Amino acid sequence: MKKESRTKTSKGKNIRNFSIVAHIDHGKSTLADRILEYTGALKGKNRAQVLDTMDLERERGITIKASAVRLNYRARDGEDYVLNLIDTPGHVDFTYEVSRSLASCEGALLVVDAAQGLEAQSFASAYLAIDNDLEIIPVINKIDLPAADPEGVRAQIGEALPVDADEAILTSAKDGTGTEEVLEAIVKKVPPPVGSSRAPLKALIFDSWFDNYRGAVVLVRVFEGTVRPGTKIRFMDSGRDFEVTDTGVFTPEMKPAAGLRAGEVGYITASIKDVSLTSIGDTITGASRPAPEPCKGYKKIKPMVFSGLYPIEMNQYEALKDAMEKLRLNDASFVYEPESSAALGFGFRCGFLGLLHMEIVRERLEREFGLALINTTPTVSYLAKDQKGGVKTIHNPSEWDPKYKQLEEPYVKVVIFVPDKFVGQVLDLCQQRMGTQKEFNYIGNDRIMLVYEMPLSEILWDFYDRLKSFTKGYASMDYEPLGMREADLVKLDILINGKPVDALSLIVHKDKAYYRGRQVVESLRGVIPRQMFEVVIQAALGGKIIARESIRAMRKDVTAKCYGGDITRKRKLLEKQREGKKKMKRVGKVDIPQEAFLSVMKTTG
Amino acid sequence: MASSLYIHIPFCLTKCDYCDFLSVPFDEAVAKRYLKALKREIRLRGGRTLKTVYIGGGTPTMLSPEAFEDIFKTIRDYFELSPGAEITVEANPGTLDRKKTGALVGLGVNRLSIGVQSFSDAELRMLGRCHTAREALRALKSPAVPNISLDLIYGIPGQTMKSWRQTLKRAIEAGPMHVSAYELTAEADTPFYEALIEGRLDSPPEALVVEMFEYAIEAFGENGLHHYEISNFAHHGFECRHNLNYWRRGEYLGLGAGAHSFEDSRRSKNTGYVFKYIEMLSKGALPVEESVGVSAEDEIKEITFLGLRMTRGINIKKMGFLAKAAGELIEDGLMLLEDEHLRLTRRGLLLSNAVAVSLFEKLELG
Repeated sequence: MKKESRTKTSKGKNIRNFSIVAHIDHGKSTLADRILEYTGALKGKNRAQVLDTMDLERERGITIKASAVRLNYRARDGEDYVLNLIDTPGHVDFTYEVSRSLASCEGALLVVDAAQGLEAQSFASAYLAIDNDLEIIPVINKIDLPAADPEGVRAQIGEALPVDADEAILTSAKDGTGTEEVLEAIVKKVPPPVGSSRAPLKALIFDSWFDNYRGAVVLVRVFEGTVRPGTKIRFMDSGRDFEVTDTGVFTPEMKPAAGLRAGEVGYITASIKDVSLTSIGDTITGASRPAPEPCKGYKKIKPMVFSGLYPIEMNQYEALKDAMEKLRLNDASFVYEPESSAALGFGFRCGFLGLLHMEIVRERLEREFGLALINTTPTVSYLAKDQKGGVKTIHNPSEWDPKYKQLEEPYVKVVIFVPDKFVGQVLDLCQQRMGTQKEFNYIGNDRIMLVYEMPLSEILWDFYDRLKSFTKGYASMDYEPLGMREADLVKLDILINGKPVDALSLIVHKDKAYYRGRQVVESLRGVIPRQMFEVVIQAALGGKIIARESIRAMRKDVTAKCYGGDITRKRKLLEKQREGKKKMKRVGKVDIPQEAFLSVMKTTG
Repeated sequence: MASSLYIHIPFCLTKCDYCDFLSVPFDEAVAKRYLKALKREIRLRGGRTLKTVYIGGGTPTMLSPEAFEDIFKTIRDYFELSPGAEITVEANPGTLDRKKTGALVGLGVNRLSIGVQSFSDAELRMLGRCHTAREALRALKSPAVPNISLDLIYGIPGQTMKSWRQTLKRAIEAGPMHVSAYELTAEADTPFYEALIEGRLDSPPEALVVEMFEYAIEAFGENGLHHYEISNFAHHGFECRHNLNYWRRGEYLGLGAGAHSFEDSRRSKNTGYVFKYIEMLSKGALPVEESVGVSAEDEIKEITFLGLRMTRGINIKKMGFLAKAAGELIEDGLMLLEDEHLRLTRRGLLLSNAVAVSLFEKLELG
């Protein structure tokens, strides 16, 4: 690599590190595009949202992985600045990643839709930024909309958040209005990084992924010291040492740099084969002169939701194993271990950050590796204590043992924003889901912010969908973990034609068990297709049947006419029918479609 | 070499609402050109000895006695007809009179398959048929033909058990040697299918259709017409040899637009466009549109789903693996193993598609 082509390291006082936080669809990605265009990082206006690079991200309109772009900006004061835009994931499943991205910055743009106003995620992410001591610049976006009410939104922000709403910048990311004001505000208000390039190295990991040629690509914010190709570095959590092969920045193209100094943001590669060593939130230091302590706030990331993944065809087990190994290279937050199920055979128990993460992983395994999978009923992880004081973590209902006396389950703090005319139904919903109300505050004239504490298992599945449907889409929510709390739980067994199907069993709250049992058998009746014999679905508690439904036997599946001209066509129809069955899992003699395992989570209350 | 010949006459007076067979409205001039092309195709593909001939449609009886004479003369000129060959013509009650029947018998036709469908005029209208119950009865009184088969349809929207019993009674009284009783099937792209999709018609309930099927088996059986294929009944010795050949995977030659052939392990199909058919033959080309080899795996599938259509079942002398694969289905009362034949039980017959798919699954066939 010739020296000239390397990007110059920047002077600390002219660096600004910032993020953009927003509620979904408030225009974060579009504003990022305008900023990239304005600073010349993005050429050609039609390039769609560069920061979202995975197909799945673009399809779902959310950012799954974080990313960072280095921008050059000559401000009105005539000075050249380096702005590092650190993108954050936009879904509650990835709150921890968001917090680490924010920890890498000195400032954040809080983008709020001028028509919709503050939403739960604006609130939650603003507080994440405040917790990380960031300078917050409120941006009221979409002022071009006919329904825009920038002054009303300004008032809301001033009321609900400890920020200076008077200084909020009005923008339309769609037509570019206000982009320059945003850039000027970043230069003027976001403090430059502090830290010495000569101090022991201290760099915070806020993202990493696997590259087939380079190994792990680790995105860092350097707080202290300098890292260069050849530097011997140490990952403080694992204690593992590596020699840096390359350092650089994204402009947004990957571009090598001579080194990264205190205050800078960029990537490090060091021929790291195992991406799980590069945990988000961990600190990289120098192996020869380590920093006395790591950056604050590192947490070993813990999966919140567990589910079994099984191949529909037994002979795809090895292929699934290979696929999961490859996927994990890129997604350290996805964990798995082999397990077996009486009903489903051999598969894996997997841990995910949330249900969206679970869906993404399954879709990627199916789409990128051509597998057909069964996703068993998701569950949270429980803590069980036996009489002798032994503690066991349960993340599969089949590990349940009635002898456990004391049980704990994960709780979350849920923040809900809702227009006041819908609040009654939302209160009922939270009540049904065992929520305890902690706050009830008006934000502006007609919107209410609710804070509840409730079991994670109660919001896991369809809470958000119900919230949205009760409020015609106007409510928004966010949540964060609160830790484990005591709970009264029982295991609900599901039997199909008299045999318990382990992959369908659930751990439920005792006082809801009867109700859940009825719901589960009803939903299963709705999704299991008719078979050549009667299918009986039962729910049982401790061996006692509490609910029963049956699916009548199919009586007629016959082709009336078949003569000389029909033979090939009929054969193909039967082959198609066979393909349909291949998408189902045979349990005993019953063919169960994939959606049955997830339908168990559906509720009607 | 094929010893069964099928000839397709793609003309109808009007097309029935449920029909998805190849047919176009009858036109004198087109029919003439079609016949010329057909005779050419017969000449190109002759040379076989035939045990069965089947002229189907469409409505073959739309053609004049002279046209039939022309066709049969060409067949006899280019093929050998075995003594006692089964020669069937499909007929529509509305297009059959004593004179035409006499002419057909004179040409050697010894079997008529008459599309009666129902003895209820309301049901015939619902089906879009252009004849009445009375015409159907008249057509059946053709004493000259030794072997008459009639077609019936059940599961018609609005049809009751009572009217089905009535139709069966009349059919049996007419004394046919053979009956085909088909459940009405909504084939895609037919007016009947559209009507069901749009909710203008309702399919009869499954339980009623099953009852109609079972009642037909009983009623025919009591009158000597035994159930030998899912939708076919006959007096002993009068089973349709031409159709049995399809289900036993014998070879056959199909001539005419849209006709299918099966020879040398290849299934081929003539063009379904009447004018293209005429044009290709006028240039001396065979009107074959596609020809696909049957793989070993396809062969097993065909043996299975075709063989199971017959109540006698599949001879398993050389197919022991099939019997093995059927174990669970036998336990479930869907199949039976008897006299070295694997067959469907009555309940199994009604589920024959699902059973065939289960067998494919057990045999690990795609």
